[in-house]
Amino acid sequence: MSWAQAILLARGLTRGWGGICSTALTGAPFSQVPPLAPRGLRCSAAAHNPDSSLVPRPPEPPRGPVKALAPHEELFRQAPDGERDKASFVQAVQNFTQYNVHKRGHVDFIYLALRKMREYGVERDLAVYNLLLDIFPKEVFRPRNVFHSIFLHYPRQQECGIAVLEQMENHGVMPNKETEFLLIQIFGRKSYPMLKFVRMKLWFTRFKNINPFPVPRDLPQDPVDLASLALRHMEPDLSARVTIYQMPLSKDSTDAVDPTEPHIVGIQSPDQQAALALHNPARPIFVEGPFSLWLRDKCVYYHILRADLLSPEERRRKALSSPYAWQVPMTRPRWPSGSRACRRPTQPWPRSRWSSACQGPPGSSWRPPQGWRNHPHPHPRARKKRKTISSNSSRARAEPEWSQEHRLWTGVKA
Amino acid sequence: MAFVHKFLNGTYILRKCPKPSVASCPFWGTRFADYCSNSLQKPVAAPGKASSQRKSGGNLEGHQQREVALDITSPGDKPEVIFDKAIKEEIKDHFRRLKNDIVNHWVGPEGHSLHEVLMEQAKVVWQFRGKEDLDKWIVTSDKTIGGRSEVFLKMAKNNQSALLYGTLSSEAPQDGESGRSGYCAMVSKIPRGPFERKRSYDWSQFNTLYLRVRGDGRPWMVNIREDTDIIQRKDQMYSYFMFTRGGPYWQEVKIPFSKFFFSNQGRIRDAQYQLLLDRISSVGFTLADKVDGPFFLEIDFIGVFTDPAHTEEFAYENSPELNPRLFK
Repeated sequence: MSWAQAILLARGLTRGWGGICSTALTGAPFSQVPPLAPRGLRCSAAAHNPDSSLVPRPPEPPRGPVKALAPHEELFRQAPDGERDKASFVQAVQNFTQYNVHKRGHVDFIYLALRKMREYGVERDLAVYNLLLDIFPKEVFRPRNVFHSIFLHYPRQQECGIAVLEQMENHGVMPNKETEFLLIQIFGRKSYPMLKFVRMKLWFTRFKNINPFPVPRDLPQDPVDLASLALRHMEPDLSARVTIYQMPLSKDSTDAVDPTEPHIVGIQSPDQQAALALHNPARPIFVEGPFSLWLRDKCVYYHILRADLLSPEERRRKALSSPYAWQVPMTRPRWPSGSRACRRPTQPWPRSRWSSACQGPPGSSWRPPQGWRNHPHPHPRARKKRKTISSNSSRARAEPEWSQEHRLWTGVKA
Repeated sequence: MAFVHKFLNGTYILRKCPKPSVASCPFWGTRFADYCSNSLQKPVAAPGKASSQRKSGGNLEGHQQREVALDITSPGDKPEVIFDKAIKEEIKDHFRRLKNDIVNHWVGPEGHSLHEVLMEQAKVVWQFRGKEDLDKWIVTSDKTIGGRSEVFLKMAKNNQSALLYGTLSSEAPQDGESGRSGYCAMVSKIPRGPFERKRSYDWSQFNTLYLRVRGDGRPWMVNIREDTDIIQRKDQMYSYFMFTRGGPYWQEVKIPFSKFFFSNQGRIRDAQYQLLLDRISSVGFTLADKVDGPFFLEIDFIGVFTDPAHTEEFAYENSPELNPRLFK
């Protein structure tokens, strides 16, 4: 048998046996990891074109002084003026299937594509995941008899399928009927990817709506909108109003190209407004901050305006004089630790104001935060999302508003 | 553990004692072999935990500060301590606790009368009012597997709550086997009786976990571990999510125990069963939401209570598709 025929035989066997044969032929030690390229064969076969990669090679580790490209990475390298979006990703995938009818190296290609999804911004797109699953040849990996189903049939491909589903799970993408059909076509109903799919269907539906404070998936890009969303997210009182102030342009014209003006966004509920109106100007009002608030993956910073609680005598005087004289000034509601049986807690309304009002044992210097304020700096980590926003656009400022006592509006604990 | 604590938190110096008493107590000897040094450090069991000695000015925003406390005292005032005396004190302490334990057993469970225990509807289990309350918790992050997240625990304003803060980093460690990373956790220490025997909490009277927290909008996971007498149980835990609202208002989180799902070795299992409350060993909070950045969670107290309106026994039913054997 000529040397070329031996090479072709080795390659054919490699495809079927996952490279075990090739490593055996070259005398390299048998290993469980994906097979290394049969280097001996490659060096001697001068006609072999390294780019066409007939033998699936694992991608080289990306670290190192010389960055070796993964086997199919050239498909993802596009024209310098092309932008990385869904269309180019789909194009790259279709190029693979087009130039490689027999889908050689599809496992490596799928792993590579999974890694590249984040760059192209398609990691939450179900259609793209279905497209990736479509790369697998159908009906080949299905177990056909009991021995196939006992032993993990086509283990690398099953692991690859599980990896695709795992990335979907990490990004919270719910698979649909098309995914199910593809998985059944590719792996059969009793395979591990199908099992994972069933689990995803079950647990995703169970945990879909458990967040009592849901944040929309697509956050607004405009920092002012983001700030008002953050403020409304924080404030439980639905009658609170968001106010957007506009700062005058700064005198220095060094950033004359930047047309946006700094904004201050604030929120105040009617209760807080009334309390502020009743506030004695002789007592100080404090500005605290910045505190961070995360909305999915964006962080905003906010400040609050608050004042001290009145002393107990003043509180009593005030409570008697107010129209809500039936309210009893409360000490901090606390669960008794240990032995004493506690009364059943009723559901106070609104809950958060009840809790915020009664805080701190009398005499302590702990003050409840009573004001809201915001508008925060855009978080420095969000800088990469801020490309269209200039640095002057929003700056955190304290806003003078704010109330002192929420206690007047809290529910009574039975 | 009390011995370890007294030894390490106080100002004792461990001398390399050639005394035979040390050699004759291999139990203690092995523990203190590592600590025979003149510098005083926090116990290694809590690598990420720090109690800051100075109050920071910015109240809740401690995420930029790295505070690791080293209780290093000046060489002048290190008192001489006798190893034997410390051991004797510790033995006496343990016996005292054993005696209290036996006496309390006659009074009722955990020293409270049976009437009180049966009528009890709410109980504060952990509250944060001082440094000794912080000692009941262990703080970990993925630094243990080589990641970059940092987490610290300290008392917040006016000693009224505890602040768990740090930075999460989901950069995977380059150890060849971890694909993902980025978690921070705070776990309570297992309650110990005399002679460091493991104890457990009995919460069978209650049906809801109550937490008074103030977060920054990040989703946390609350984990409950049952008594780890059986070795297979060391990776099993029951978890549920705690969504923080963020903002300056305190948030009351009520999680019924029927909502906790079972997981083993970090994966949700197909066969689900309800959390049994009679031997609970620890409760923990984990943050692993794959978003890099600073975080904080201020906890006021953690309690359990009975919600009479909550009659659900278990929230998840097993499906015949995933568990055919359960339905035979």
